[in-house]
Amino acid sequence: MKKLLSKGLIIGIATITGLSSCSKKNDPDPEPTNPESSKYVLITMSENTLTKPGYATAFDEIPSGNVSNINATSLQGMGMGGWRPYGNWLLKMFNSTGNELGIERLIVSDNKVVVDKFLKATDNTTNGSGNFVINENTGFYWDGSSPLKIQKFNPETLSRTGEIDLTNVVNERGSDEAGILYRSIGQKFLAIKGGKLYANITYATTNGTQKGFWDDFYPDVYIAVIDVASGNYEKTIKIEDTGSIAYINDNNMYSFDTNGDLYIVTQGRSSLGGKSKVVRIKASETDIDKTWELKMDDIMTGGKFVNIFATNGKIITIIPTVALTGGANGNINFSEIWEYYTIDIATKARTKINGVPYVTNPGAAFGTIKVDDKLLLRVNAPSAGLNGYYQLNSDLTAATSLFNVTEGGSVSGFYKINL
Amino acid sequence: MKHFITYRIRLIPTLLALLSLGLLNSAEAQTGLQLKGKVLDQQGLAISGVSVGLPALSKKTATNTYGEFSLHIPRYGKYLIRLSFIGYQTFEKEVNVSAGENSFDFILIEHVSTLENVTVTGKTETQKIKDQSIKTTVIELKEAYNKPATVTELMNRTAGIRIRQTGGLGSAADVSLNGFQGKAIKYFRDGIPLDYLGEGFGLSSLPANMLQRIEVYKGVLPVSLGADALGGAVNLISRRPSNKYMEAGYELASFNTHRLNLNGYYTNPANQWFAGVDAFYNHSDNDYKALVRATDPETRNQYDANVPLFHNAFTGYFVQAYAGLKNRKWADEIRFELSAFSNNKEQQHPALMTDPYGAIVSKQSSVVPSVSYKKTLFNNRLTVNQFVTYNTIKINRIDTLHGQYDWFGNFTPNPLKVGESRQASNSDINSRNFISRTNLAFSITDNHTLELNTVYLSASRDGNDPLGPRFSGTDIDVLSAESSYRKFVTAMGISSDLFDKKINHLLTGKFFNYSASGIEAYEARPVFSDEVKDIGGNSWGIADAIKYEINSRSLIRFSAEYANRLPDHNELFGDAVFVVPNFSLKPERSLNLNLGYRYNKPVSYSVEVNTFYRRTKNLILLVPIQQPYAHFENQENVKGYGMELDGVVYLFRNLLLNANATWQDLRLFNVSSSGGDAEKNDARLRNTPYLFANAGLNYNINKLKFYGYYSFVREYYLETIPKRLEPTGFLGLGGKADINSLLIIPDQHLLSIGTNYPALNNKLSIGLEAKNILNNNLYDNYRIQKAGRSFHLKLNYNIQ
Repeated sequence: MKKLLSKGLIIGIATITGLSSCSKKNDPDPEPTNPESSKYVLITMSENTLTKPGYATAFDEIPSGNVSNINATSLQGMGMGGWRPYGNWLLKMFNSTGNELGIERLIVSDNKVVVDKFLKATDNTTNGSGNFVINENTGFYWDGSSPLKIQKFNPETLSRTGEIDLTNVVNERGSDEAGILYRSIGQKFLAIKGGKLYANITYATTNGTQKGFWDDFYPDVYIAVIDVASGNYEKTIKIEDTGSIAYINDNNMYSFDTNGDLYIVTQGRSSLGGKSKVVRIKASETDIDKTWELKMDDIMTGGKFVNIFATNGKIITIIPTVALTGGANGNINFSEIWEYYTIDIATKARTKINGVPYVTNPGAAFGTIKVDDKLLLRVNAPSAGLNGYYQLNSDLTAATSLFNVTEGGSVSGFYKINL
Repeated sequence: MKHFITYRIRLIPTLLALLSLGLLNSAEAQTGLQLKGKVLDQQGLAISGVSVGLPALSKKTATNTYGEFSLHIPRYGKYLIRLSFIGYQTFEKEVNVSAGENSFDFILIEHVSTLENVTVTGKTETQKIKDQSIKTTVIELKEAYNKPATVTELMNRTAGIRIRQTGGLGSAADVSLNGFQGKAIKYFRDGIPLDYLGEGFGLSSLPANMLQRIEVYKGVLPVSLGADALGGAVNLISRRPSNKYMEAGYELASFNTHRLNLNGYYTNPANQWFAGVDAFYNHSDNDYKALVRATDPETRNQYDANVPLFHNAFTGYFVQAYAGLKNRKWADEIRFELSAFSNNKEQQHPALMTDPYGAIVSKQSSVVPSVSYKKTLFNNRLTVNQFVTYNTIKINRIDTLHGQYDWFGNFTPNPLKVGESRQASNSDINSRNFISRTNLAFSITDNHTLELNTVYLSASRDGNDPLGPRFSGTDIDVLSAESSYRKFVTAMGISSDLFDKKINHLLTGKFFNYSASGIEAYEARPVFSDEVKDIGGNSWGIADAIKYEINSRSLIRFSAEYANRLPDHNELFGDAVFVVPNFSLKPERSLNLNLGYRYNKPVSYSVEVNTFYRRTKNLILLVPIQQPYAHFENQENVKGYGMELDGVVYLFRNLLLNANATWQDLRLFNVSSSGGDAEKNDARLRNTPYLFANAGLNYNINKLKFYGYYSFVREYYLETIPKRLEPTGFLGLGGKADINSLLIIPDQHLLSIGTNYPALNNKLSIGLEAKNILNNNLYDNYRIQKAGRSFHLKLNYNIQ
C-alpha cells in the first residue's frame, strides 16, 4: 500500500510538471531493486513448432559478444516462445513441461533455471487462457472455461483465489445479435492502471478454433473498467473503428509511458492488418483519449502494429517495410521485413533507429525491453547472422549490438531478477 | 487392482470364444492309435506343409502351421516314416512306436543339388527373403500364434526396429527404421499399399494369427513394393495355407482385454477352388494406471497423481471372407475378398498427456471388396499379378461435450464450451480409395529376371461437420468440398544371379507422378469455395543391391538407394482445421547405403551384423505459421550411420538365447546457425531412440515352453540437445545428458515372461504371459505412458 501511495505521488508530480524524465514509471511492473545478488535470465525458442521448445539460462552479468544459451545449468522445456516477467518473477503463459496454458513461474536455484509453480487454466484449448495481469498482491487472469468471468489469483503462490462474474457487463450489448457467436471478457487485453482493471470484451463472429481473434462483430473494440479493490464494474469504454485489440501469448501489446499513460495496440480488422492503431488512456483518465491515436494506415498500407514500448514520450515499435502477406509463403512472421522506429508521441514524427537491420516479427516476445536501465531491442535477422539484443542509445535513434545468441534458438526474452 | 486379470469378462466375446472352441473340439474328436511328431528346420523353426508318409500303410499327411502331424496306425511296432518337402532333403527313418513312445521330432536339412552348373539351394520362403540382396528382416509369426504377444511387441524385439504407440491396444503405432519414421515408412499387405484399409489393419490391433510373417525392409525396397518410401517398408504377409485348417484363439488379459481371432481355410481335394475366413475382434478398456499431473479444481495448482485412465477403451473388429479358383487354364489363382472392419476408439488425452478427455471418440469403418489374379505364362517365364480394390472409409470424430473432465473422471458441465479439444467436432468424412497394382515378372534367362510393378492410387475425401469451419459468408461446410489425390508409381528392376548364384544383383529404377486438387482451406482468413488448387509433380529414384554368398554359411550384402518421398494429400492440403495447405512442398530425398554380413551355423548359432548410412534432405515437418495454425514444410537435413547386431545361439538343445542391439548416430546437418541454431548441427535427430537392445530366452521341457524377453531403450530426447551435453562414454551409455531438460525420455527396461503348453493332442495351446513384470513406468512417443504390469491368458485351438 505504501508503495502504491508513493507511486501515485510520483505520478502526480510527473503529470503536473511534465518532467517525465524525472519520474518513476507508473507501470505496475516494478523492476527488481536493491539486489544482493542478481541473475540475468535469457530464454530462446529452439524450434519453430507448435510446442515452442527452447532453453532458459541464468547469467551472472549481461552477456556480450557471441553467447550460447545452452549449458549444464540451462532449463530445456516447452512454451519458450516468450514470457511476461513481473517484478522479480519470471512468468509465462505456457508451462515448460507440456506447453499447457496457464501461468508458470521460473526461478533460479543453485545457479540453475528451474520451474517453480504453475497455475493451470481449466480450458487448455482456447487462445487467451492464462492471459494475466498482476497488481501488487492480486492477479487477474482469463480462463476460456468461464469466458464471461475474470479469475483472481495470488501471484505469490500462483493459486487461483476466486472470480469476478461479468456476464451482465458483456451482455449490455449484442445479446440478441445472431451474428455474435462467441463472447468473452479479458481474453486478449488485461491491464491495471490507477487501481482500475481494464478488460477487453470480445464479440466474435466465430466460435471455432480461432474464436475471439480476427473475428470482431463490431467495428469498435470495447473495454470494461473494473475497480480492482472492490471488484465492482464501473463502465465500458471503446476504441473506435478498429479491431483485434492486442493478442494472446506473452506479448501483451500494451505499454505504460514513463508518465503513466497507457498505450494500447489494436492489430486491426484482419490478421494482416487494416485499421490497426495505437491509442492511449492518459495516466489520470479512465477512458480512451479521443484526441490522440496513431494509425498504421497513415504510415504503411497493409501493415499493422505488433509490438510497443513507451518511454519518455516516445514509442518504440516495429513497422513493416512491405505489405503483410499470410499463407504458406507469407512474410508476416519469419521474413525480415520489420524495421525499428522511435515515434514521438506528441508530433507522431517517426525516426528510424539506425544500426539495426530489418528483423523478423517478435511474435510472442517483447521487441523492446528494459534491463539495468538499458533499453534493449530484440534483433532476429537470420540472413545477417544476427540473433540477440541491441542496446538503444540515449536519444533512441541508434542501437548497437549488445550480445548475439548463437545457440538455443531465436531470442524470446531477457530479464534480470534478484536472488 | 488393474494389474491383475480383471474378471469383468464381457459376455459376448467370451461366449463366442467358448462356442468356437467347443464346436471345433467336437468336430475333431477321434480315437485310436497314433504316431505323432513335429518337424523343424535347422533353426528350430516349425515347417508347415511337410509331407509325412508311412509307405507300408500307404498313409500320408502334412504338418500343420506348427510343424506338427499325426497319423493313425493299426498297431504299435516299427514303421518307416518318410518326410519330404521342397527345399529339404527327403528324410527316412524307422521308428518304433509304442504306448510309451509315440511322439517323435524330426529336423529337416536344407537340400543342395547341382543342375548344369547351377547350384539350387532349396529354401523356405522366409529363408529366401532373408537371403535376398536387399536386407530384409523377417519376423516369422508361427511361434507367436500360441502366445498372447502383439505384433508391435514382436516387432520391437527385432534389431533395428522401434514401434512407438500412443497408448494401449488399438492406439496409433509408428514404426521407426534406421531413424526413419512417420510417412517415410510405407505399409503394405501382401505387397499392396495398406492405405485402403485405414486403421482396420493397424499394427497395434492386429493379432499375429492373421499373418504368416512380417517383412521389414530397411532402405532399398523390392520392385514388387511400388512406393515412394524414403527409408523402408513393412510388408504384412497374410497366411496362405496349402491345406485346409481352422483355428480359433481367445486372449483374456488385464484391463478388461479380450481378443479373438478366427482363421479358416478350405480347398477341395482337387485343389481347384478354395474359400476361407480371417477375422479378429479386440476390446480393451486400457484403463491402466498412469502418472499424470492432476489439477486442484479451486487453486488450479498441480500435483502428481497415479490414476487409472478412464476413457481409453478400444473396440474393433476385422472380418475378411475370401473365395477363389486355382489351377485353371486361364488363371493360376483368382481370389475374391470381401472385408469389413469397424474401430471405435476413445481418446483419453491430446498428443501429450496434458488434459484428460472423457467423451471424445473416433470411429472408422469400411467394407472393402478386392480381386487379385495370378497367372504364369510362356513356360513359366512370365508371371502376371493383378490386384484391384475400391472402398470408402467412413471416419467420424465426435467431440461435442459441454464441459470437461478431470483426471479422476469427475465431470464439470459448462454450457458455454463445446468440445473438450481445441476443435469441437461431429465430423463425418468419407475417404474413397482406389488401388490398382500390376506386377509382371519375366525370366529372361534362368539367371535374369525383369520385373515391372505399377501402382495407381486414387483417393478423394469429403464430408461434413456441423461444428466445423464454413466458407466465408455462407453456411457451406468447408469439408463438403471434395479434395482428391492421385499417385502413379512405376518401378522396374532386373535381378541377376551370377557365378553359380553366389552373387545376386538387383538394379531398380522408379518413377513417381502425382496430382492433387482441393480447396486452399485456411481459416485464418476468409475461405471461398472457388479457391480450388490443382497441383502435381514428378519424381524418381534408383536403387542397387548386391549379395555375395561367401560359402554355405555366410554371406555379405550391400545396397544403395537414392529415394524420394512425395508430399502426401494431408501435407499438401492440410486438414481444414489446424493444418493449412502448403503447395510449395518438395519431395523428401535420401541417399541410403546398407552393408551387412551374416554367419549361420545350423542348429548351433547365427550372427548378423548390419550397418547403414543415410543422408536425407528436406524432411517434411509440421511447423506453426500463425497460432493456432501450422503447415507442413521442408525443414531438416539428417545424416548418420548405425549398426545392428543380431545373434541366436543354442546354449543347450532345449535352450535358445537370442539377442540384438541397435545403435544409430543420426544427426542434423547444414542447419543454418545464423538464427541461433548452431547447437543443432551435429545434434541427434529428436524424438528418435539411438540405442536399444533386446534379449530373449526360450526353454523347452518336452512340450512345455518357457520364455522371457527383456528390452532396453536408452534415454532419448524429445527435442535436440547439443552434442557436447549428451551422455558420455562408449555409445553414449555413460550417465545422463548434462542438462536440466524436461524433455528427456528416461532409460526404460521392460521384462516379460511367459509359458506355453500344448494340450489335446497339440490342438489346443495354452499360453500365459506376464508383461512388464517389474511394473516400470514405460513411455512412448511424446512421453505417452504405457501399461504397467499385466497378465495375459491365450487359448488357441487348431485343427487341420
